[in-house]
Amino acid sequence: FRFKDSLAEDVQSADLVISHAGAGSCLETLEKGKPLIVVIYDKLMDNHQLELAKQLHRDGYVLYCNCSTLVETLQSMDLSTLKPFPPGQPEKFASFLDKVFGLQ
Amino acid sequence: TGGHTTEILRLLSCLSESYSPRHYVFADSDKMSEAKIRSFEQKRAETFPKSQFTLDRIPRSREVRQSWTSSVVTTLYSILYSLPLTYKRKPDLILCNGPGTCVPVCISAFLLGLLRIKRTIIVYVESICRVETLSLSGKILYYFSDYFIVQWPDLKKKYPKSVYLGRIV
Repeated sequence: FRFKDSLAEDVQSADLVISHAGAGSCLETLEKGKPLIVVIYDKLMDNHQLELAKQLHRDGYVLYCNCSTLVETLQSMDLSTLKPFPPGQPEKFASFLDKVFGLQ
Repeated sequence: TGGHTTEILRLLSCLSESYSPRHYVFADSDKMSEAKIRSFEQKRAETFPKSQFTLDRIPRSREVRQSWTSSVVTTLYSILYSLPLTYKRKPDLILCNGPGTCVPVCISAFLLGLLRIKRTIIVYVESICRVETLSLSGKILYYFSDYFIVQWPDLKKKYPKSVYLGRIV
């Protein structure tokens, strides 16, 4: 398919997700607890997409590679080394704003 | 746009109904955000039936990789366009997270504050994508916002006036 409104179902039923480094794609996948390989392709990407992928990799949440090393990565990967991804905490933000406005 | 909208809706997810009515401002070229916003607000209305929100579109201030000189012109145009909108809404709080669209809105609110017409609190939350460097919007609004929130510790070190709450989306 080319475009779907939501990939949620596909991600939910997948055993492994291979994705570009877009934050939405990465976070959605990680939040569903699926192993993720992020593929970087420099030509299309801003450097800033790379920042998040690198950090997620440093923290042990994703594997990453570029187009030419994808096959090699798939062959040699050990998904058990990936750590579970803790969810973000928007409640901390709400708490912070409430303090700013004296709403506690 | 896309990722920004998803992030900002997550930020809104835990806010109480004190933060109402919500006025969403987005670029006229943005096709997908409206649907996401409506979906979010619909769900919210299930818990908070008196929930109110509006949608406003403004001209996009800058395309990705647009040249500097033309960006200044299009941003100025967007600021002029935003002024009557911000004046009309007179928000107590502006919450934004980085698309170019937010800069003119914040600047127009800042100007209205200077002119003593309305004092708006500007809260900027840098995108989770930004781990080591700020976006262009962030670099500008670091100086204009009342609270500048970053989601990674490296940025807190580089921008000491920022607030670090960890990952909040």
